[in-house]
Amino acid sequence: MKQIILLTFMAISVLTGNAQTAATNNLPPVDKSPMDMCYYPSNYPVLKIQDKITEPAVARVIYSRPQKNGRLIFGDLVEYGKVWRLGANEATEIEFFRSVKIGDKKVEKGRYTLYAIPMEDSWTIILNKDNDVWGAFKYDEQKDVVRTTVPVQKLSEGVEALAMTFEKSDSGCNLIIAWDNIKASLPISLK
Amino acid sequence: MKLACTFFLCCVFFIACTDKNEKSHDQAETKPDTAIVHTPTNPYAAIDLSPMDMSYFPVNYSQLKMTHDITTPPIMRVIYSRPHRQGRTIFGNLLKYGQRWRLGANEASEIEFFQNVTIQDKKVNAGRYIIYCIPYQEKWTIILNNDLYTWGLKIDSTKDVMQFDVPAKKAAADFEYFTMVFQPITNGAELVMAWDDTEGRLPINF
Repeated sequence: MKQIILLTFMAISVLTGNAQTAATNNLPPVDKSPMDMCYYPSNYPVLKIQDKITEPAVARVIYSRPQKNGRLIFGDLVEYGKVWRLGANEATEIEFFRSVKIGDKKVEKGRYTLYAIPMEDSWTIILNKDNDVWGAFKYDEQKDVVRTTVPVQKLSEGVEALAMTFEKSDSGCNLIIAWDNIKASLPISLK
Repeated sequence: MKLACTFFLCCVFFIACTDKNEKSHDQAETKPDTAIVHTPTNPYAAIDLSPMDMSYFPVNYSQLKMTHDITTPPIMRVIYSRPHRQGRTIFGNLLKYGQRWRLGANEASEIEFFQNVTIQDKKVNAGRYIIYCIPYQEKWTIILNNDLYTWGLKIDSTKDVMQFDVPAKKAAADFEYFTMVFQPITNGAELVMAWDDTEGRLPINF
């Protein structure tokens, strides 16, 4: 019995695996909200090594993925009417490999920081040119490149970890952003 | 007792599954790391088994920018995914000596220099590169490559730009997760790459 308990604990410590001794060596532990990346066209790097690319890379987003962890997200943890970093840790970054159009505004090729101001029925999505920042703590409206307001959609099934992905649209692509029971979609025109 | 046994079996089963999962990635498969254990299915994007991470130089640049009035741009950053050891022997076993190693998982690891730098007396132009490694017992060959936005398992070596040999040393600690970070040195910084009991340090001068 004792042995089983010991083995169980060993198994658990393998599972959680967070005990990176590196933490004691000034090296970074694994983040609680892991970083992730998405491209348009979706899965571009995988398509690339499979020789299945039909169009050049247009955009990619690098973001960190907080988890719901039983909390109420919108209107509570993420307050309505306040700038939200759309992620965790390093600010969320969107990069265009060519110029695109968002709202009625031309957005030049390059890196931008992505924010949102969530409301109950709509989100204002912001592209800002102050890059390599942390969260929205030093957000400066003067550096906005474009702001556009999009409606939100209620999801029937909850999303535990903040998720972003691109989908194809008639005019280009949409950046889908989903967390908890809310989904927003940012239209990006390639025309 | 029964409960403990069941729980233990579940754990073993899970470890077996994830282990298999990780191995399959190392066998030139292209599926993303998608083992979800603690979260329900995410219809948009599953959480990766080997999470992505990012390191800047100056160290913690984005936090410094938040807490201090920094106006100078960062010098470099690396974006990589962090496989975990999970009880395996890494060097000379999971990673074969003399064979290419993607220095990460999933998407190819990417290093970006926001200004020109010098590595081992060679000038490296500002810009973005794929970074990978050929490990040997005594040294690592670190390679910068121009084939951007690719998956780490298939590296097009015709697009190699530069390569540098650095000694492979016993790491100062035991690394469950593969770790890349910059540490300051005189006239620059070292890119520290550490996993299991081994580390390599690429000196970068600017």
